Amino acid sequence: MDASQLLKGVLDVAVLAVVRQSDGYGYDVVRRLRTAGLEGVGDASVYGTLRRLYQAGALTSYVVPSDEGPHRKYYAINDRGRSVLEDSGKTWRTFVDAVDGLLDGAPA
Amino acid sequence: MTAPIAPGAAQEARDYLADVDRELADLPAEERAALLEDLEAHLAALAEEGDDCPIVIRLGSPAAYAEELRAAAGLPVQGSVRPSPRRDEVRRLLARVEAHPVTGEVRRLWAELRPAWWVLRGYLLIALPCALADQWDFPVPAPLGSRVLGLLLVPAAIAGSVALGRRQLTPSATRLLTVGGSVLALLSFVVAVGGTSSPSYDVGYATPVVYDQAVGEYPLVSRYGPVTDVLPYAADGTPLEDVLLYDQDGRPLQVGLQEWWADGCSRVLRQPLAADGVPVPHAFPQTYVLDPAGGGFADPALCDAAAGRPEVSLPIFPATAAPATATPTAAAPAAPAAPTGAAGD
Repeated sequence: MDASQLLKGVLDVAVLAVVRQSDGYGYDVVRRLRTAGLEGVGDASVYGTLRRLYQAGALTSYVVPSDEGPHRKYYAINDRGRSVLEDSGKTWRTFVDAVDGLLDGAPA
Repeated sequence: MTAPIAPGAAQEARDYLADVDRELADLPAEERAALLEDLEAHLAALAEEGDDCPIVIRLGSPAAYAEELRAAAGLPVQGSVRPSPRRDEVRRLLARVEAHPVTGEVRRLWAELRPAWWVLRGYLLIALPCALADQWDFPVPAPLGSRVLGLLLVPAAIAGSVALGRRQLTPSATRLLTVGGSVLALLSFVVAVGGTSSPSYDVGYATPVVYDQAVGEYPLVSRYGPVTDVLPYAADGTPLEDVLLYDQDGRPLQVGLQEWWADGCSRVLRQPLAADGVPVPHAFPQTYVLDPAGGGFADPALCDAAAGRPEVSLPIFPATAAPATATPTAAAPAAPAAPTGAAGD
């Protein structure tokens, strides 16, 4: 199965989880997701997701001036984001457990 | 850490950004600006990594990137015209041509040849109008008929052109200059190619050279050859004598001399004389008389003293005068009268 289809559904959870570890700018988040094993994640998807979560009020952002290049827009998780992550995390676990059970169980 | 970014890569990034921008054209300006700002920073970060992977390979086509961005950001799918994948293909092909080493070589050569074009451009600016106005003494244009003026204007134009070429111009001025230069080059090419075949224009006309009076061996030529006489008739068919003919610019018309006669007799021209005794070469018909000195192949005794007017069929005009019908036959007997009279002098 194409992992990119699955990714779309869980990208919110993944991005929120990454940003919860530490604040990050777009490319930084992309890299951390890939390092974590989500290699198929698309750059545009991450940027789009960050933008949407920010507009939904789940993330705050601030700009860090850079001597070496353009200023970087960092995203940080806020309370609303944490509660979204918690809810989404529960949904995800329930979902995964259900699928795991189906996969582990002998075909009935 | 900041690796120098190749100009080609910077251009690639700019193009990519512009393409994505176009794909997002239907979004609110604020939304679009925010998304593009992210992308710009992202492209800069990718460029800093300094690997040679083209942007379209890394991020996908601009259209695909924009689509993914919309989907992830929860924005509406592009409602307006979907760009055809062919356009993407063409753009990618162009990008590949752009990146090809030969393209770079051609561009470098063109850059080196630019000063030569500046010089040529200045020369053509003066030379082309002169060539068009036929004020031209190759290779020196002669504006207003003056080569000296040409020798002064050409270096001035070249100096101006080179100065213009060296200056950094605004994009619109550059575009104007490019268009102007192209037109100049194209016109010059057309004139240069057309100029080699121009002599053919002269065929079929009298003489291309304009005199105050049309003179020369055969100043008037018809499709049958040189015109050696003109025989005028009035509308009612009366043969006319001493008719003065002028061309469209008021120059007297003159015909060539007839030297060979079908009957082998030699004749000489007796042109009508003005009151002061000067021949009037544009009075028609001209009068040929038998050469008093003889000559020709035939026995002068057998020659017709007068070369009469040939039979002509005349059109019949709407009747304003009664004798119109009698004209064709009247023409022949009336003609010999003048030559016979002239032959006597």
